[in-house]
Amino acid sequence: MQKKKKHSKQKGISRRKFLGMAAGTTAALSFGTYIRSGLGAPRLSVLSWANTLHAMDDVLREQAKEYTKAKGIDVSWEFISHQDLPAKVAAAVESGAGPDIINLWTDMPHLHAKALINVGDVCADLAKNLKGWAPVGKDICNVGGTWRAVPWGIIPIAITYRTDWLKEVGYDRFPDTYDEMLVLAKKLKDKGHPVGFALGRALGDANQSHYPMFWAFGGKECEKDGKTVAIKSPETAKAVDYRRKLFQAGETSDILSWDDSSNNRAFLAEAISVTGNAASIYWAAKKNAPHLRPVTNHALWPQGPAGRFGYSSAISLGIFKFCKAQKEAKELVKWLMQPKQYSAWMGEGEGMIAGLLNYYEDDPVWQKDPKLEVIRMIPKYVRMPGYPGPPSRQSSEAMVKYVVVNMFARAVKGMSTEETIKIAEDELKRIYAKT
Amino acid sequence: MRAWIRRFLKPEALTGYALISPALFLMLVLLAYPFCLAVAISLSDRVLGEPGRFIGIWNFIGLLQDPYFRQTVQNSFIYTTSTVSLKLLLGLALGVLLNQEFRGRHVVRGLILLPWIVPTSLSVLTWLWMFDSLFSVFNYLLLGMGVISKKIPWLGDPFWAMVSVIIVNTWRGLPFFAVSILAGLMTIPRELYEAAEIDGAWALPKFWHVSLPLLQPIIAVVVLFSTIWTFADFQIVYILTHGGPINATQIFSTMAYDVALVAGRIGEGAAISLFLFPILLVVIILLLGYLRRE
Repeated sequence: MQKKKKHSKQKGISRRKFLGMAAGTTAALSFGTYIRSGLGAPRLSVLSWANTLHAMDDVLREQAKEYTKAKGIDVSWEFISHQDLPAKVAAAVESGAGPDIINLWTDMPHLHAKALINVGDVCADLAKNLKGWAPVGKDICNVGGTWRAVPWGIIPIAITYRTDWLKEVGYDRFPDTYDEMLVLAKKLKDKGHPVGFALGRALGDANQSHYPMFWAFGGKECEKDGKTVAIKSPETAKAVDYRRKLFQAGETSDILSWDDSSNNRAFLAEAISVTGNAASIYWAAKKNAPHLRPVTNHALWPQGPAGRFGYSSAISLGIFKFCKAQKEAKELVKWLMQPKQYSAWMGEGEGMIAGLLNYYEDDPVWQKDPKLEVIRMIPKYVRMPGYPGPPSRQSSEAMVKYVVVNMFARAVKGMSTEETIKIAEDELKRIYAKT
Repeated sequence: MRAWIRRFLKPEALTGYALISPALFLMLVLLAYPFCLAVAISLSDRVLGEPGRFIGIWNFIGLLQDPYFRQTVQNSFIYTTSTVSLKLLLGLALGVLLNQEFRGRHVVRGLILLPWIVPTSLSVLTWLWMFDSLFSVFNYLLLGMGVISKKIPWLGDPFWAMVSVIIVNTWRGLPFFAVSILAGLMTIPRELYEAAEIDGAWALPKFWHVSLPLLQPIIAVVVLFSTIWTFADFQIVYILTHGGPINATQIFSTMAYDVALVAGRIGEGAAISLFLFPILLVVIILLLGYLRRE
């Protein structure tokens, strides 16, 4: 025994020797990386939102690794909460340093157009090979004729509803107009199953539920020129009156306190029958409330006198002007948008993301589950705040200040239609007067 | 003049300057520079990513004309005055209580600090759950005890939302008041109370005529700090209500965040956050002057 021990000691590595070797190896390895980063292929850093469906981010992580292996370009992908993105982007724009490729939300390509390179060639190339862009893609990324980002997709917001409770009150499918929805909501609330559309400080849900309603009745915050405030109209008044009626007849009073996750919780707790949301409720039901999955379905936003509309958050990929490897960054974005990569990512989401290249309207993911079928049609109806004008700093300030949402909220709280529209009009005039 | 230079170059004077220079350097880099930059930005129409032009005090004038901002000012004052007075009253009571002799008071004194120690964002998330429209434990208890007949819309009603953020801010800031006041109480010599007792004073007059006057400098400092912190508070309101509903709890910092970082108007955003600076400066000068006289 003793002999053996002695033997191993002689043959083995001494501590000093081990440390020396370790230091040497580390130095050699890091020198290699240094050589590669300094002289060889460039590295690219990407910053995007942390998806509520973590599996989708895992797909992107894998793809980044795959790209690194195939092209020899080191891709590092970082994910942060989407609520932190505006501050991160602001810091990068101001300091001229940060990630090379940035995930922009909704109107951000317009807000930061001057800090982003022209990606018109990438967009044109993708459009040529993949059947063109949905109109909203151009709305969000094309700033004054120049593509400042590549449309990455939308997070489609649909009506999410309980099929069993609708059946109870005699409906086989969700009604197609706002007037019919009002009748349905009343019947549901009488049965103890109110509907609920967030009317609190839910930057996502509240705006996404109320811009479509506002537009469907013919309301608009400004004219097509994006300058003239036009909210004061009989159409807006109709939308406000409708909103008040919907609240009184069929809605839970909790909506005024809701944040972006409240309606998900309320739906999964079986406290509401209908809400407007991304497919995330359906997805979360799989884990948290499996018994609800068979009785949950999706529908398009109803139509109003002026047509059918939707507003969903849109995401895009932009490249900062300070990026040192712009050509490589463009190549990476183009690669991510190719069917092999994009379908794998979108497919993992099961309706969380809808692509804005028309090619993806027929993606296999939509055939996977008949309850997700309507979601593929949503991009067609999506408009951005400020519609019919282009997205702008003004329209985004109006959204951040909840001008439209609060117009409805005041009405629901008892203010007269005329008065609440007047307040909204004054706010908009002040905002649109700014340059 | 020459004498001055000679004094300046004296070895110990030099050592003195050398010793304060790191602190001075940090102050200049981390406080003075960002502050001056903020002032410069607030005087421009700067939007993110563009240099902007100098427009004097037009941002401030524009803000004064904006009802949305006027409501924010009003909310901030309601929020700050009510939380600071609540914290002061409760802090005095708690300080006096903790100053009593009782078993386990060291443990209690330690535990009292918990709300102050736990990261605000985490504790406020817990409060968010307690105020939740569906799952509020307060509503559950109050309904169960028969105190209320229908649930309180904690974060869904303009009035109750303000009440909610005031409750949470008071809860969070109370330990700072209680512990500072406790420290003050502990320095008051026993003899003063004994003298008062000989004169026939009972608890309340003793507190009123002995403790309170001697606590004044501490109260002044604590109130000053708390006022500044509360005016600049962000996390509690941002997490609980995000300024809503219908802007009922919008305060300076949350509005500045929305305008500057989300809507991209950093000139206006800087003006919002600096709006109170002149008022606070006057308050600080008055209070510090008062303290020096004391």
